[in-house]
Amino acid sequence: MAYTTDANKKFQKELNSGTAALVLLSILARADKPMYGYRIAKLMEVDEKNVPMMKQGALYPVLRSLESSGLLESHVDPSISGPPRRYYKITETGLEALKNWVTIWDQTKDFVDDILKGKNDV
Amino acid sequence: MFKNVRDYLEKLKKELQGCDPALIQDALSDAEGHLRTAIDEAISKNPDQSETEVLGPIIEKYGIPSEIASAYRSIETHITPALAVSTRPDKRSFWGKFFGVLAESRAWGAFFYMLLAFIPGIIFGGWALFAGLISAFSLLFIIGLPIFGLFLLSLRGIALLEGRIIEALLGVRMPRRPLFLKKGLSWSDRYIALVKDKYSWRALLYAVLLFPLGFIYSGLFSLLFVFSLGFITSPVLELVFRVPLDLFGDNIFTPVWFLPIVSVAGLLLLPLTLHLAKLAGKIHGRFAKSMFVRK
Repeated sequence: MAYTTDANKKFQKELNSGTAALVLLSILARADKPMYGYRIAKLMEVDEKNVPMMKQGALYPVLRSLESSGLLESHVDPSISGPPRRYYKITETGLEALKNWVTIWDQTKDFVDDILKGKNDV
Repeated sequence: MFKNVRDYLEKLKKELQGCDPALIQDALSDAEGHLRTAIDEAISKNPDQSETEVLGPIIEKYGIPSEIASAYRSIETHITPALAVSTRPDKRSFWGKFFGVLAESRAWGAFFYMLLAFIPGIIFGGWALFAGLISAFSLLFIIGLPIFGLFLLSLRGIALLEGRIIEALLGVRMPRRPLFLKKGLSWSDRYIALVKDKYSWRALLYAVLLFPLGFIYSGLFSLLFVFSLGFITSPVLELVFRVPLDLFGDNIFTPVWFLPIVSVAGLLLLPLTLHLAKLAGKIHGRFAKSMFVRK
């Protein structure tokens, strides 16, 4: 049982490592104004229904990674209610990357689905 | 499990032990910002609940310190500052290393930082000196208190901006998030915390020191650059354009047989200047890091 739980966690983590970046880019591409980490996490909470994709805290290093790759840009604004917030916005390069990633994602999804459903049985 | 946000941050800091201090500061800043916003939202919905009560479910969603630390560690290995130092062993020969510096982006980054250091020196140092003196003088009157507080806050902004410039040009990892003051403090306590925080004063000291340092860096490196370019092009300057280098006194032309030697000296001086810029950038980056990053 312990093995199964650990294996599930590991599998989920490995899946998340690539998909989180895709999801974050997609959310920010749809946003009409820059968003800060907490708002993005809340938005994902609504979208993910009952299956938590990843811990909210793990989103921040992914945002940072996307920013350092030039796919996102950010600025810090003071907040009336609390600490200053970092607002993220997708860049032109980010939009281009998202377009390509969606194509890759669709191909991967179709391929995995076909295998899982046994469409190409030998 | 966790009494309050401070408690959580302490545990997260422990889990991140051994990581780059600038990364730790960013991770703590991200966590603090997120948890405080979530707590505020939860308490506004259920005013009867305390911070400790609402914190449990919030951390359940955010992730326990070990999970978050591992997420930062795994991502950080893929992120390096734009001009970071390569970790591969350098197997080039002495001359390969000496002239190879001409193709190193980090060396040029450091060189341009040094060449243009007088600009942040004048802006940051000038602001620290003049605004500092004015706000210190205004402390004689009651209106001076908020002015002085705003001045200290501005220094933190300057420290963050200078950190971004240093990371981009010198390749030294610096904080990417601003420093927070503890929340829940009254305005007077916040003010006292800001004044007592040694990082406010370190930022002031850095900005003041950048004033003379900027001029020294820019002066030295522009001189070295002009000399090396002048030496390299000396045969063309003197023989074609009849412009004397003044090496032997005012308006005295260098003997023709000596010109190739001067030219070679210039070819050696240019990479030497870049090596010196790299070294100065490394030392300056360490100095800035020791001033801006919380240990």
